[in-house]
Amino acid sequence: MTILLLLAPVGLPLAAALVYAAAGWRPHTTAWMGVVTTALLSADAIGLAVTVTRHGPVDTAGGLIRADALSAWMLLGVAAVALLACWASPAYLAAEHPHARRARWYGILLHLFIAAMAVAVLAGNLGILWVAVEATTIVTAFLVGHHRSRTALEAAWKYVVICSAAIAIAFLGLVLLYYAAQHAGLTGNDALDWATLAGHAHQLDPAVTRIAVGLAVLGFGAKAGLVPLHAWLPDAHSQAPAPVSALMSGVLLPVALYAVLRVKAVADPALGAGYLRTLLLILALTTLALAAVQLIGQRDFKRMLAYSSMEHMGLIALAAAVGTRPAIAALLLHMAGHGLAKTVAFLSAGHILYRHNSSRITDVRALATRTPLLAGLFGLAIVALLGFPPAALFASELGIARAGVGAGLAWATAAAFAFVATAFAAITAHSGRMLLGPPPMTEPGAAPPAAFTPATAMPLIAGLLGVAVLGITLGPVAGLLQAAASTVGAP
Amino acid sequence: MNGTALISTAVQVLVVVAGAPLLVGLMRQVRARLEGRAGAGIGQPWRDLRKLLRRAPATPTGTGWAFRLAPLLLVGTSLVLAAVVPLLTTASPLDRAADLFAIVGLLALGTVTLALAALDTGTAFGGMGASREMTILALVEPTILVAVFALSARVGSTNLAEIVTTTQHDPLRVASPASLLAAAALLIVVVAETGRLPVDNPATHLELTMIHEAMILEYAGTDLALVELAASMRLTILLGLLTSLFLPWGIAGASLAALPLALAAFVAKVAVLGLALGAVEVFIAKLRLFRVPELLAGSFVLALLAVASSFFLV
Amino acid sequence: MTDISYPLYLDLAAGLFLLTAVGVLWRHQLSAMIRLFALQGAALAAIVAILGIHQHSLELVLVALGLGVLRAGVLPYLARRALGDSPAEARETRPVVNVAASLLAAAALSLLAYAATRPLVALAPSPATGILPAAVAVVLIGFFTLVARRRALSQVVGFLLLDNGITATAFLAAAGVPLIVELGVSFDLLLVVLVLQVLTTRLRTAFGSSDLDELRELHD
Repeated sequence: MTILLLLAPVGLPLAAALVYAAAGWRPHTTAWMGVVTTALLSADAIGLAVTVTRHGPVDTAGGLIRADALSAWMLLGVAAVALLACWASPAYLAAEHPHARRARWYGILLHLFIAAMAVAVLAGNLGILWVAVEATTIVTAFLVGHHRSRTALEAAWKYVVICSAAIAIAFLGLVLLYYAAQHAGLTGNDALDWATLAGHAHQLDPAVTRIAVGLAVLGFGAKAGLVPLHAWLPDAHSQAPAPVSALMSGVLLPVALYAVLRVKAVADPALGAGYLRTLLLILALTTLALAAVQLIGQRDFKRMLAYSSMEHMGLIALAAAVGTRPAIAALLLHMAGHGLAKTVAFLSAGHILYRHNSSRITDVRALATRTPLLAGLFGLAIVALLGFPPAALFASELGIARAGVGAGLAWATAAAFAFVATAFAAITAHSGRMLLGPPPMTEPGAAPPAAFTPATAMPLIAGLLGVAVLGITLGPVAGLLQAAASTVGAP
Repeated sequence: MNGTALISTAVQVLVVVAGAPLLVGLMRQVRARLEGRAGAGIGQPWRDLRKLLRRAPATPTGTGWAFRLAPLLLVGTSLVLAAVVPLLTTASPLDRAADLFAIVGLLALGTVTLALAALDTGTAFGGMGASREMTILALVEPTILVAVFALSARVGSTNLAEIVTTTQHDPLRVASPASLLAAAALLIVVVAETGRLPVDNPATHLELTMIHEAMILEYAGTDLALVELAASMRLTILLGLLTSLFLPWGIAGASLAALPLALAAFVAKVAVLGLALGAVEVFIAKLRLFRVPELLAGSFVLALLAVASSFFLV
Repeated sequence: MTDISYPLYLDLAAGLFLLTAVGVLWRHQLSAMIRLFALQGAALAAIVAILGIHQHSLELVLVALGLGVLRAGVLPYLARRALGDSPAEARETRPVVNVAASLLAAAALSLLAYAATRPLVALAPSPATGILPAAVAVVLIGFFTLVARRRALSQVVGFLLLDNGITATAFLAAAGVPLIVELGVSFDLLLVVLVLQVLTTRLRTAFGSSDLDELRELHD
């Protein structure tokens, strides 16, 4: 039974991709298959969470696939966001009217992407984790360039080159970690197995481990949008189709930070908490500063959402730097809340883009009077991202602040939240300009676009409900969150 | 002072003086044959020198001591170099002066005097040739120093005779990365320093392409003969330096008995190297002037890597 | 292979490995860069083969053969196909950092690599770990090529140099990573190059050339 639970998250999306490869994307039949498979994936994730809470970590395939509380939490996040993205994809593609071949590739690549992320969170071996993260880069390269326009191709090129180079640096870090592990007595697959490494961490040579861990954090951090290799993020997230942007912002960035957390679990016993704490603090604060500054003069609302993702990843990196159990718990809650809220934001931004044919903020006015439902959903998503209660982000940001001050990093936390406040002001100003104000005069002869039906709005409403519920009560997942925090958090 | 050492050094200097124009003639003959011409024969440079020596030197008005001094200084430094560099024998009486830095300094002294003489003429060609030559010299000097330093790091001394003797006793050292990298760097540098293709065409008189020829344009008669002889001697010495550092077999120690063998070995090695250089010159084109710093920067990197590997590799 | 000549052969192969990386920064012609990259692939295969022969490991020698086929055969072939036929495409005309400065930067990066990898060599001194600095230097030079060149294909070659350096580090430091990871990595590398080749073709169709200086439309 557990083997099925462990292999299904990979098998289900792969099966969906095969069906798309064979049958293509038909608007009324295969288009909805994605919803079925991701719903099954969500059920599987819940089952896995229950198993792990009751019985502790489970594994199969000789330890290559392992699930503990942290993996189960991440898988829940992946499944939830994937469900929303697949639910919204048919409406998105129906509005776009792409060629049948391009729609088929969209279906195949989307599900391969979900499969790769499932492998990444369930990998027991750091090498498998690396291969999965690299696979996501390859698969999303074509998804980012889906529109085949000049800007989309430019974004795809930058994305592949920068992320592949960053991931290669992370691989160098893993190779050096393997080298250190071999000299600590571990061999073969065990030398990269994160559980075994964490157990033998005291025997690793400190100087080599320092270099290895630094490279791995820089490489995976670049994939999460942390400075200095972040230049791909605004371009890729703004040029990709909306469901893909949602998946990338909502899940891929957190999965990259999940990899950093796994490396941290090995590094802290070997080197002491100070080294990674300093490194992650520097990365977090510079990322927050850059994101806040770029948000101020922003002219494109999709790039605005991308920089907002960078800002939130900076906050998550700050929480990882603090490293205590409350900090990690707040971090995981933030990942979940941000994933859902950002998904809704990107999906509604996609609809706004389709309606107004432009992604400039100045071209979009008075959404609230013209399309109230869409404006309401977009507005609520932005409100959730800004950290207002009852969104989960309010609780998690409060948790990160308390944990930061409690661990003695009051100055850094204060600086970080100053940047967050700057970003808050900028996003509010831009969104207000988009949503409020008098409607412009309609151009004569302009055909009104298709109405934004409640059916199309269902996935967005579901996402917002999820963020709200998560913010009010953790309910059944509280135990899972505590268990996940204790796997990587220092007491 | 050791008598045998004195005799060996004297023979070495004589061989260099007599053989340098022959080497230049050999290279020109090889080029001619490969280009399908009959060629003027190996002895032509000696015939040219004899003709020039019979003519009166001409000194342009307005030139000063630099112009008159340069040919003498050039020949002088070349003769000292011929005595000091271990070509036929490692037991030269000037052994203590056979230091890497001294040799590089002597080479540079010669080049600088010629450049000063070119500036002294006051013509456009002279100034242009001098400035181009200085650009090349600025990049060539550090490379020679660093490349030979890479070889000296293992030996523990910058004395060229010691380096040659140590390499004779340990032949496998030549195949090490440090040695190979230094050889590549030195080859490029020798080509640049002696004004061969692809850095400078020795047979051209076009304004756009002259470097060495531009500097000696105003010389005539005995002065020109001295300058040409000095240039061919420097070519011979540098090629001989290359073979001594990397193919030192046959070089005599202190004994006189090994001298004929050393002479034969030297002539053979330098002739083969000259032949190869001449043949390659037929097939390559001259580099544009602003690409020359790239080539020389590359050779500097090779020399640096040679030093790094000599310190860090097994 | 006798014990005396094993370090020598290893050093020679490592020297060629590093030299081809410097050569990529030196040359202007894209086709020359690809040829140098192929030569580097052969040098990498030679390093692994020498290690395999010294350790009497048939597995390593077979891996070396596979590496040679992949990195000296398949990948340069794919890169050459992406080069296209137009002669205007064939050169790197205005690199971001000019050639002389790039070469000096390469020398500086090599020295940095030697300094930074001292703990690695100190952990297990041997002829194999002694040439780790050369492999790390190739990683740094590959990253520099990625940053300092404007043509799309030069960036691809830079990325491939980076990857060659990392593979060399893996084999020198640890006699290769677990086989399953090595297979995954090679497969990923192949896919990345295919992706980049397709993107280059699409870039050329959309922009008319693969000069990345043209990619200036996305900015804040």
